[in-house]
Amino acid sequence: MKGSMNYSTGIFLLFLLLAIVFPFLSPSPYLIHILIYIFIWSSITTAWAYMGRFGLVSLCHGAFIGIPAYAAGLLFNYYHLNPWIGMLIGLLGVAILAWVFGYACFRFGVIGHYFAITTLVITELVVVVIMAFREVTGGRLGFTLERISARPLYEQLLCLQFESKVYFYYLAILLLLFTLYVWKKIDQSKAQKALKAIGDDEVAASCMGIPIVKYKTGITIVSAVVAGIGGVLYAQYTMYVNPISMIGVGPSLEIIFNAILGGMFTLLGPMIGTVLITLLQEFVRIYFGVTYMGWSIVGYAVVIILIIIFLPEGFYGTLRERFHNAKREKVSIRIPDQ
Amino acid sequence: MLALSAVVNGILYGGVLALLVLGLNLMFGVVQIIHFFYGQLLMVGLYLIYVFTIWCHIPLILSCLLTVGVLLLINTLVHVLVVKRLLTADLINQFLALASVMLILENLCQAIFGTDIKGIPINLPVMNIGELYFTTSNLIAFVGSLVFAALFYIFLNKTYIGLAIRAVAQDKEVAGFMGINIYNIYIVTMALGGGLVGIVAAFFTPIYSVYPHFGGSFTLISFIIVVLGGMGNLLGGFIAAFIIGVITILVSTFSNTEIGLIVSYLIFLFVILIRPQGILGAKVSR
Repeated sequence: MKGSMNYSTGIFLLFLLLAIVFPFLSPSPYLIHILIYIFIWSSITTAWAYMGRFGLVSLCHGAFIGIPAYAAGLLFNYYHLNPWIGMLIGLLGVAILAWVFGYACFRFGVIGHYFAITTLVITELVVVVIMAFREVTGGRLGFTLERISARPLYEQLLCLQFESKVYFYYLAILLLLFTLYVWKKIDQSKAQKALKAIGDDEVAASCMGIPIVKYKTGITIVSAVVAGIGGVLYAQYTMYVNPISMIGVGPSLEIIFNAILGGMFTLLGPMIGTVLITLLQEFVRIYFGVTYMGWSIVGYAVVIILIIIFLPEGFYGTLRERFHNAKREKVSIRIPDQ
Repeated sequence: MLALSAVVNGILYGGVLALLVLGLNLMFGVVQIIHFFYGQLLMVGLYLIYVFTIWCHIPLILSCLLTVGVLLLINTLVHVLVVKRLLTADLINQFLALASVMLILENLCQAIFGTDIKGIPINLPVMNIGELYFTTSNLIAFVGSLVFAALFYIFLNKTYIGLAIRAVAQDKEVAGFMGINIYNIYIVTMALGGGLVGIVAAFFTPIYSVYPHFGGSFTLISFIIVVLGGMGNLLGGFIAAFIIGVITILVSTFSNTEIGLIVSYLIFLFVILIRPQGILGAKVSR
């Protein structure tokens, strides 16, 4: 077991090294763009899976990524507030939202179908609020971030706007590593065991004296805040925020699709799902163009349904399961010999 | 006067919503899945009526009946192909599979019909009693909703299949012991749900024009009403539809549509926390 852990860590480090030197090897802006997109959305998806894997199906991660993005962008546009501070304010807002909403839901025992629908309503609520204050937020059309003219690098970093995509690329890698690190930290903590028990059987867990509400609210806040950082970075990268493509049900669902496709119970599953879906979308977009846009999404949805029915653990999850089962069988064969 | 007119229109709108949520409520109660493509099914229904009347020149009434049949088939097909295999799966997997069906329906319509708004030109006059103005199409839908709710009530209480459906909704295991084939009842329920959506589509044709993203808001408002009334509780859903209808129209009249939606969402959040079983729902452990 120890050996295989080191083996997979080695592969991971190799990929990381490749990712770090990639911009020097291939300066193609398109590939860099795709990779930035993949890194940012992988980290958002991983953040979703923090709570998703414990049976908390959240459909409001669109809101969680959108609110800090809107806060940072609007404060910068109107008051020229530094986007880092704007991000902190936005994240504080998201943390408070996640706390209030999470606490209320878990305290009153809103779980299962009810929880999913409640999160859905929260997402739509945020979208409608943004639409209602369209003088400030730009309503359905969204808004464009004010661009600063060329400045020295440290000022670019200060304003989170870069002349070159490469800097965003490294920031996105940092964010992804941070997200994976948080996952590891959760896994090593007592919270992981408690949450797993809650996910398996809530009543039994509470009978064992596990403070359900505390742990569930905690994981919701962590998940929301980490996803929010990804949202701000994505908005700063594209320089444009729109309630439909950033907050609504669409992005919330897309995050879940990514997580499910890769398998949300494993560390790298959400990332692999994001890579697969992004590549699929790009492939379809390049080879079929915009004319068959509807059809391509139909095909993609059919694939998702097939995967859900036949590979309920997701691609990476199923592969890993097979791998581990094969190993376990070997072990069990060896035992009678001794 | 404005307030009174808003209330009257709200009641009519509530009737429309009550008809809308009947099928969803039934499927929630019996099959216990989140029927995520409900609004999209309605959208497909409106498109079908458009195709039958405008492209195939079939009379409106006949094309409405055809649509009811086609939607019934679509919903049954989805059940047999997708839902049936996921009945024991994780909540999230069921949910995502149905969300995928939603994506399929939405994008198929977009691929076939484009993003333009399509509608059948039926111009029903605006009626008035004194200074009270309301649209005839809403009135027709309101009456239709009362009629179909009554028919549905009789069906559920007086026929064998209806009673079996109610039994399964109350307790699956015991219903199974009583010799009811649960899986057949699921199929019947999904077929009925699809048919009811077809009826809603028929009544919605004079009110709304249809476009590919038409369904989303209806899915959400139906969920809200169903949860407010208590999942699977038909009478509760009926009452909740009127509450939401009146409040939405009342707030929209004095402010704007978005504020109306915000208020109805907030009411939903409030109710689900204070009284999660809904207005009339029975207290059950979830």
